Formats: sequence, structure tokens, C-alpha cells
Amino acid sequence: MSAQVIVLSGYGLNCEEETLFAFRHVGLDGDIVHINDVIDSPKMLEAYQVLCVPGGFSYGDDTGSGNAFAQKMKLALWDNLKAFVERDTLTLGICNGCQILTNLGLVPAFDKAYGKRDIAVTYNKSARYQCRWIDLKVAENNSPWLSGIESMHIPVAHGEGRFMMEDTTLAKLKANKQIAFHYVTPEGQPANEEFPYNPNGSVGDIAAITDESGKVLVMMPHPERGMFTWQRDDYMEVKDAAQRGGQEVPEESDGLAIFKNAAIYFESTLKKSA
Amino acid sequence: MTYRIEILAHKDDGRGLEIEKIMDGLGKKVNVRVVDVYTSENETAANDIFQSALGNPVTQKVNQTPKDFDWALEIGFLPGVTDNIGHTAAELLALCSNDNHAEVYSSRLYLISGKVKKSDIEALAESLSNKLIQRSSIKDNATFKKDGGMDVIVPKVKLENKNVSADKIDLNISDKELEEIGKSGIENLDGSRRGPLGLSLLYMKAIQTYFKKEGRAATDIEIETLAQTWSEHCKHTIFASPIDEVKDGLYKHYIKRATKEIREKKGERDICVSVFSDNAGGIIFDEDYLITDKVETHNSPSALDPFGGAITGIVGVNRDCIGFGQGAKPVINRYGFCLADPRSNPQYFRDAKCMNPILSPATIMHGVVAGVESGGNCSGIPTPQGFVVFDDRFVGKPLVFVGTIGLIPREINGKPGHKKKANAGDKIVMVGGRVGQDGIHGATFSSVALDEGSPATAVQIGDPITQKKLSDAIIKEIRDLGWYSAITDNGAGGLSSSVGEMAEQSGGFHVELEKVPLKYPGMSPWEIWISESQERMTLAVPEKNIDKLIKHLAKRGVEATVVGTYTDSGRAVISWDGETILDLEMDFLHDGNPETPLKTTFTRGGEKEPNLDTPKDYNEVFAKLLARPNVASKEFISMQYDHNVQGSAVLGPLQGKGRVYAETSITRPVLSSPKGVVLSQGLFPRYSDIDAGAMAAASLDMAVRNAVAAGVDFTQLALLDNFCWCSSDEPERLGQLKRSVEAIYEMAVKYETPFISGKDSMFNDFKGYDKDGKAVKISVPPTLLVSSIGVIPHVQHAISLAPKAEGDLVYLLGETKDELGACEYYDMNGVLGNNVPETDAHQNLRLYKLYARASRDRLIASAYALGYGGLAAGLAKKAIAAQVGMEIDLSGFDLAADKMLFSESTGRILVSVAPQNKKAFEKNFKGFEQCHYIGSVSYSENLMIRDVASLKVKELEAAYKNTFKGY
Repeated sequence: MSAQVIVLSGYGLNCEEETLFAFRHVGLDGDIVHINDVIDSPKMLEAYQVLCVPGGFSYGDDTGSGNAFAQKMKLALWDNLKAFVERDTLTLGICNGCQILTNLGLVPAFDKAYGKRDIAVTYNKSARYQCRWIDLKVAENNSPWLSGIESMHIPVAHGEGRFMMEDTTLAKLKANKQIAFHYVTPEGQPANEEFPYNPNGSVGDIAAITDESGKVLVMMPHPERGMFTWQRDDYMEVKDAAQRGGQEVPEESDGLAIFKNAAIYFESTLKKSA
Repeated sequence: MTYRIEILAHKDDGRGLEIEKIMDGLGKKVNVRVVDVYTSENETAANDIFQSALGNPVTQKVNQTPKDFDWALEIGFLPGVTDNIGHTAAELLALCSNDNHAEVYSSRLYLISGKVKKSDIEALAESLSNKLIQRSSIKDNATFKKDGGMDVIVPKVKLENKNVSADKIDLNISDKELEEIGKSGIENLDGSRRGPLGLSLLYMKAIQTYFKKEGRAATDIEIETLAQTWSEHCKHTIFASPIDEVKDGLYKHYIKRATKEIREKKGERDICVSVFSDNAGGIIFDEDYLITDKVETHNSPSALDPFGGAITGIVGVNRDCIGFGQGAKPVINRYGFCLADPRSNPQYFRDAKCMNPILSPATIMHGVVAGVESGGNCSGIPTPQGFVVFDDRFVGKPLVFVGTIGLIPREINGKPGHKKKANAGDKIVMVGGRVGQDGIHGATFSSVALDEGSPATAVQIGDPITQKKLSDAIIKEIRDLGWYSAITDNGAGGLSSSVGEMAEQSGGFHVELEKVPLKYPGMSPWEIWISESQERMTLAVPEKNIDKLIKHLAKRGVEATVVGTYTDSGRAVISWDGETILDLEMDFLHDGNPETPLKTTFTRGGEKEPNLDTPKDYNEVFAKLLARPNVASKEFISMQYDHNVQGSAVLGPLQGKGRVYAETSITRPVLSSPKGVVLSQGLFPRYSDIDAGAMAAASLDMAVRNAVAAGVDFTQLALLDNFCWCSSDEPERLGQLKRSVEAIYEMAVKYETPFISGKDSMFNDFKGYDKDGKAVKISVPPTLLVSSIGVIPHVQHAISLAPKAEGDLVYLLGETKDELGACEYYDMNGVLGNNVPETDAHQNLRLYKLYARASRDRLIASAYALGYGGLAAGLAKKAIAAQVGMEIDLSGFDLAADKMLFSESTGRILVSVAPQNKKAFEKNFKGFEQCHYIGSVSYSENLMIRDVASLKVKELEAAYKNTFKGY
């Protein structure tokens, strides 16, 4: 049996279907479960190995993106959630999921102090929603979510994606190798907080971070929207070049690696336990 | 006690920076701090857990508002206006207190430091708020300190009505009195009137006769219901009425007949499944699914409250999708705006005293763009497809088009997914938001009444999250359980319209109106019945499923209430606490409106064809043309609209490295299927100034040609029509209408592209005053938007507009004629001309058939269907998109270079072809005399047009992108 994935839904989360599709594509199985059903029977979390809070617009971003949904989870589910991340599990928050898990304090969780809010993901510096393709470079980080990944070309789509924190928090994040992705230029050079390469003004060009264990990953860009070549912004160019060269267009693209890593992680851990 | 919680944002908050930028643009240097304010009368609001839940400790501070500023400006909502942030705060409060009925009101406070005057802050308040729905208050630092902060305001609705019921209206009155009721509404006790009913004397007399026959007085709710049901908005009387020799009306005779004839002719190849009968039209996607499409307009509300009008529009048309068949899942949104140039600021007023100005074109543009953004993004529906067209005559009445494409299984629970029927005995269940005084009578338009401060304003603002909960619960869960027999949305006319329509299937209804849940007490029965409060669907549910349905919806945070029963009594019945207040024959309700025959006249417009000098400097002309709002990039919109949520985007709104704003998009709504949905549209409002028939034909051709160019086979295409007309009580305007309908009938039948859905809005006229108090009427140019939707078997066959490689060959397909009348180039030169582009459907069809074969064989590397700005704009956009030069030679044509470049002849596609496909490509078009080789994609940085111009692509790009930079 493969590891089981739970993808949350409800109250304006909206990327649950394509996100579960990504997990299924790499061989994992799972369910989309409404947050109220989890709250009704929180023990169900014990049956899952991967928790994903997908993208969306929970509560319309009112009171700050991800805030209200995080408060709901905190008040109703906190002990179960903490127990979940303390097991040998993987947790992923994408976009709104990233904002929710950051507000919950599942990251950065220095010294395993899960629940403390040290980082904010807030309004883009442009004060505009940004839907665009960006380039990412993986930072020094031992997270199982990131193994084998160097760079990615995937999209962002958010109005509040700007990581903000105290300088001391930033220093600690770096020292602990908890930064997961940086925004870079298409040539792979640091974005230096310059628009549009860094689409939101995020401090240190941070696009994604992890907890200390690396098992909780939160990222603003959307890997599930860049998992197949046909989803790419340069698909028309890629398929034309392939046709001229008499080649097939590769089906898979950068974003899929994130989901594959979850499958690989549990393949190896399951092997170990077997 | 009232609690006020102030959340101070970080000093570098993007929203504050935005205001600093606005002020900077006015030459004022300021520093702005943003404070989010929550006000509540609930005791739990004092609770620390709640207060800290409202903010983020890393970037925000609770109740530590600084005092070192010069001005404080607070903006909040007026009573009764939808306050989405307040609702979320109330939900948070409920989580902390288990009180589900607490109210929280949101407002925003700006603390401004800098050398600015009160008048500057007042101007800022004006630009940030809309008096129709919002209040603003300003305090200087001293007053703020003296008062101990801003004033605490609780914008609660208080209605004075007590013991409300239905009023009896005696209709045994003179024609004059009847006419007055139809025009200004039912008279209140104090002599005031309740607002226009839009019922002509002819209609009022039919109502009078009916009640004479029934032998009793009418009630107010009966007259209001008939006004709603018989309104132009609901019945489309102009399209339905006999007109000249066309006894069955324009809709039946031309639009519906075109579809019928095409379907019969196509036989087995027919792609239509549901046309004109439901909330949207539906065509075949594949063996398992249908796709649906519907395009709506929301023009008048958007003129007054652009944000509210647009968000209500997009969220509303989403419900048309959810209400299709047994319920379709919204998978793509469309948008389209017809606006005045946002860089202009003409002064017009709604009143003769010039006290009540209309909103500026820039304010309207910002508002409508933001409204669709908020509605679409919050709902998780990609919005890749749209357009903006500019003409100064849209100044008083902007056109706001919104559309939604849906996906629905062809079979649900063993029944066809597009079929439904409310059965006698089924319960009437209202699901979603509660009912308030929103949108009653479009009272929105009575600005006088609103200025005088009505208790609950009538403007609607959509609440996408409430609707998202409703939509998810229905489409993703309950639909497939088969718990309801029928579903439809509550849009115009509210319950009166949704229940009335569904009851046509069962043959009657009995509503117990007191059961409808309200936002606030004190509403009259007629108001509840016709309120247009948003985010509601109406279901027909067999009694045995009621309990589980209501329970399940409650678990999803969605309210559902039984408000009555569908019957087969042949009568529409409403009771109010046991008393019958409406009792009408169903037949009379739906078909009792008398026919009003219409007469038309038609005069072709246009001036003498001008003889313009050949341009001396093409660099300047190209730059000017590309910078024109109709041609320039609207990337700022695409970037704000999430166009790849659901992971389905294939060909987006921005194409090529150079990010050219495209007219066509392709989406894979089923991730596991390689099939794509191709969307596009066409419209040329200005062509109506010469000939509305040519306008309509060009629009339809553009909608088809854009989609064909992107790779869809035109046999897999369907169309939607949206007529936005003006002064439709004038024979000349009706003549233009008739001519345009005739034109699209001819075109559609020739192309075999059926209409599957449509909508009209017939009175887009602004009646007001200029700055001297002189009465003016500004009518929009008669506008037909044709939208296209088609299916492509594999997205691999998609063709984008950006050339793919240097050395590729460039061909112009289709004939360029001396047709510059009403085109961009003439308009730029201040002339209208006479030679409006005429569309030769027969010739175009030949091209599209050959093109379909070439695209199936993947012989075409890029394609752009020429439209606004003609070949000049097409060449420039292709060069910008691929960031390449081109070498073009137009000397082989008989037309002079300027006419070649700027003519807007229809039926043309500009393509590039890989050299290795040259032979096959030319063979494909052998015998087609309008396939012209005109040059190649070059290695240079210039767009060279031999003996005519040498243009730097970088400069073209700057001209193309500068117009809306910074918007």
C-alpha cells in the first residue's frame, strides 16, 4: 500500500483537485477532505502520511491571507496537527496553504516550538495580485521534499506572498538551512528583490521555507500548475522546437519533482520498515 | 457596549505604499500607515483570543495605533452593504464564542504624515471610496487626539416597518393613474412612490383586466411580481415582439432559427446538446462531459459602483453555470469591458445643478478590473479570456461583460446531466446567502434617493466565499448524490424569477414567504420576493431528502431553508403568515404580457471616404497606432487575474517571450484528457457608425477566426451573442438592430456555427447634464459581442501568435481591401470614412476549411487573426511577441502601402511557417488565390517593410506597452 495523502478543502481553498491529481500521478493515493469533516473526527489524520493544504482563497484573504483558516485549525485541531507533524510524516502548504501553515507556526518552528508565529506572509509590495511564471533556485536545505531539485520554472499567483520577518529570524533561518527556494532571474542569478523576478518583494528573495526537520515545506509558487509541459508558459515554443527536431515533447515538467519526492520518501521509509 | 479593534499594519505595507504612490502622482510626498478596524457590539469582541486572532504578531500590532501623523482618514461601509471582511471577522468571533449570530463591521483607517491640506485628503477619500456604498471621515491630528481617536460607528440596518404585510391596490382607476403606477411605482401612504416598474400602459391595462376577471383588488406583491416577470430584462420583449414583417420576432426568426437550421443540417455531426433553454448553453466536450458557456452583462450597476457591479456580475454568471442542468462546475471565466479612455476626464453630471458627477473613466476602469479580479480569483476559477474596447461614448454607461464556462458529466445518476425537472410535491429550498434589500428595483439608479441616505443601500456587492462554499457543496458533493430534482440560480428578480421559472415545469407553486431567512427584520413581503440578494440558488427537493440535504449543507457552512412547495395547481400562490397575498394563474404570470409590435427604419451612416496623405514617418504612425488603447497591451489585467488556477491553462492571455495580450485562450478542463477548450470573441462597436450590419458580421467573423487561427476546427465551434444596444424605443436604433441580427443569421448559417446562448441589454444610454447644466444624452454605439467556444482534440495542435524561429516564412491569408472606414487608423486621424469592412462569409469559409487542414497537419508555426489596427498591428505584435525582426514586402499588392497596413478587412490571418513545411503549406493552399507570401522572420532587430519603413522592435514594444504601464 502506498502512503496516503490528505488534501484539505473548504472555506475557499480551491486547488485541492489538481493537487491531489499531482500526488496520484506519482503513485500516491489519497483523499480530499473538508476541514469540517477533519474537525468532526480529528483522529482520521492518523491514517495519513502526507498532509497537504492546497492553494486557494480561504475566507477571501480577509483579516490577512490564511489567517482565519489558521485560527480555525488552531482552535479546533491543534493537538492533532502537532501530533501529525511530530510523527514520520510530510506536510506541504502551497500558496494559501503556505500562508495558513505559516500563520499556524508550523514553520519555522525553531527548536521544535510548533505553533509560534515568527514569520508573516503579507501583501505584495506592488499591492497587486501577481499571476506570472517565475524561476526558483533551491537553497541549501536537506528537506526530503527537495532532494535532487536544483531549479524550477513554475508560476506564482497571489496577492500576499511577501515573506517578512525580523533580521534575527532571517539569520536563524539561513543558519538552520530552512530556506527552501529563492526567486532568481531566468539566468539563475539572484533576483535581489527586484520585480518581476521576485514577484512580491519577499525579503531575501525567499519563495519557500521549511521547519527544522525539512518535513514541513511551505511554498508560495504552485508546483501543481507546472507539473506537465503543456502547462508551461513556453509550451508553444517547446512543442514547436520538438516538432522541428522530430522529437516528442516530454510529458513532465519541473513542478512534479516535489510530489515525486514525497513518493520516494515513503518508498524508502516503507522499505526500511519492511 | 461597542468594541473597536484596531490592527496596525507594518510600516512597509503594500497597501500603504500604493497610496503613497497615488499621492506622489499628485505631487504630494506623504507617509501612510494602514490600520484595519473591526467594530462589534458583541461581548466576545473584548476577548484577547479574538483580538489577537485578527492580526499577525510579526507584522501587525493590536490597538497600538500611533499618534504621530497629520491626518487620519477612515473608510467604512454604509448600513446594509455587503461587508465580506466583516463576515470573516464574525466567523472568527463565532469560533471564539460559539455565537453564530454576532455581527462585526470592518473599516480601514489611513494615518497620513506629510505637508498636505484637508482638501488633499478629501480628494484622496474620493478616489478611495464610493459615496453610494461607503462613508469616509477625516480628522486632523489635534481633533483625533482631542476625541481620543476616530468616532465609533456601527453601520447596522434599522428598518422602521412594523407589522408589515401586503397592501391591496385598487386598479379600478383612470388610465392616467395606471400609467403613473407603471412608470413611477406603487404609491406609499406618504405619497411617495416605490420606484419604477417599467410597465407600459398596455401592460397595466392587461393587469387591470385580469383582476377584473378575478373579481378582486390586486396586491402590491402581485403587481411587483408581474413587473419583474414581464420586464425587458427577463422577457426580452424587444427581441420577442413582432417587428416590421417579422411576425415571430428577431430572436425566434433569426437567432433561434439559425441554430435550428444548422443543427438539422449537421445531423450526426451536431455538437449542441442544450441551447437557449437553460441558464447556459451546452455542447459536447468528449464522451463523458459537456461544456457550457454563458455571457452576461452588468452595465448599469457598474456605472455607479464599478467594483460592486463587476464582482456581482462575475459571481452571478458563475451561478448560471452552477444552475445549468443538474449543476455544472465553473472551469473558466471570461471578462470584457467597453470603457471610455481612462486618460480622459470629461465632466458630466446626473443632476442639473451639477452636484452629482459621474465617475471618471479611470475610476470605472480600476473598479471593474478589480471587481472581476476579486470575484474570479476568490472563487478559484481561472480568468484567461477577455478584452477591453475603448470609445468615449462608453463614458456614462460602461459595458461590463462576464462569462463562465462549465463542465458537467453527460450522465449523472443514470440521467442526462443537462436535464432537470421540478416535480409537484417537491419542496422549494433556498440555499446560500440571506435576503436583504439588495438590488430591489435596481433602486441603485435612483441616485437622489441614495444621496438622501436610505436605511439600507440598494447596491449589491458579491460575496465570492459564501458562494464558493455553496458551489463546492452542490457541485462537488450533493449533485452526484441525486438529492434534488432541479436547480436554478437567483439572479435578476430573485425568488420571484427562480421559483417562477422552475414552477413552469411542475405547473405551480405555493411559497410561504415568512420562512425566507432575512439579513435584518422589517422587510415587506414584496421586497423579500423580488430582492436580488446574491449567492443564492433555488432547489426543488423531494421531501424524503430534505433533512439530509439541510444537514449536509450546514456541515459545509451553508444555510438552506424550505420556503414552500412546487404544485401542479396551475397557480402561483404566496402566503404570509397564513394569509394569501399572491394568487395568480401561471399562464397569465408567464404569458399574459400583450404583444407590442415594433417598427423600424434604417439609414446607413458614414461620411465621404477621405483622402489621407501617405504617412511621411511610419515610425511615428506605428508608435501612435500601437499606443492606442484598443491596440495597446492590457497585460496589467491578465497579470492580476489568476489564469492558471485548476492547473488547466494551456495557451494563456500573454503569448510569447514578449508577452503580447492575446485574443484567444486554450484550457484543458479535464487534466487527464488532452482535449482543449478554445475561447475567443469579436466586437467592433465603432463600425455601427457606418453600418450595424457590417459591425455584426465583422464581430462574428472575428470570434470565429480567432478560434480558427488558434487551431480549432470551425465545425467544433459554437457562438454566444450579447447585444448591448441603445435607445431601443427609436425606430432607427431598432433598424440597426434588425440589420445586425439579419447579418449574423446569414453568417452563422454559412459558417455552420450555432448560437447556444445569448443575452441583451437594450437601453445603454446615459441621460444627464454637462458642466453647464445642459441636458445631454450619450448613447453607446450599438455593440454586438460574439463569443466563441470550441473543442480542439489535442492541445498539441494549438497555435499561438508568436513566431517560433528566425528564417520562418510569413504569409498573409485572406484578401485586403480598401476598407478603412471606422477603423483605428481613420479614427486616429479624426475621420470616420465610408468603406467599413464588409464580410464575405463564402470566401472566408473557403480559407477556414483549408486552414483547418493545415493546422491539423501542424504546418503552421504561428498565427494571428488581424483585427484592430489591421496588418500593421498584426506584424508589430508578432515581432514583439517573439522579440524578433521581420522582413516584409508588400509591393506585390495593388493597394497602396498605407491602405495595406491599416485596412481592417475581415477574414485575414497572418501566419509564419517553418521552411521545411513550405512545400506542404503551399500545396495545402493551392488554388486559393488569397495566400500571399510576404516575407520572413529575420535575424535583425527591426521590422522592415520594404520601401516603406524600418521599425525598431524595441520601440514598437515600448509604444505597445507604455499606455497602461503602472495601472
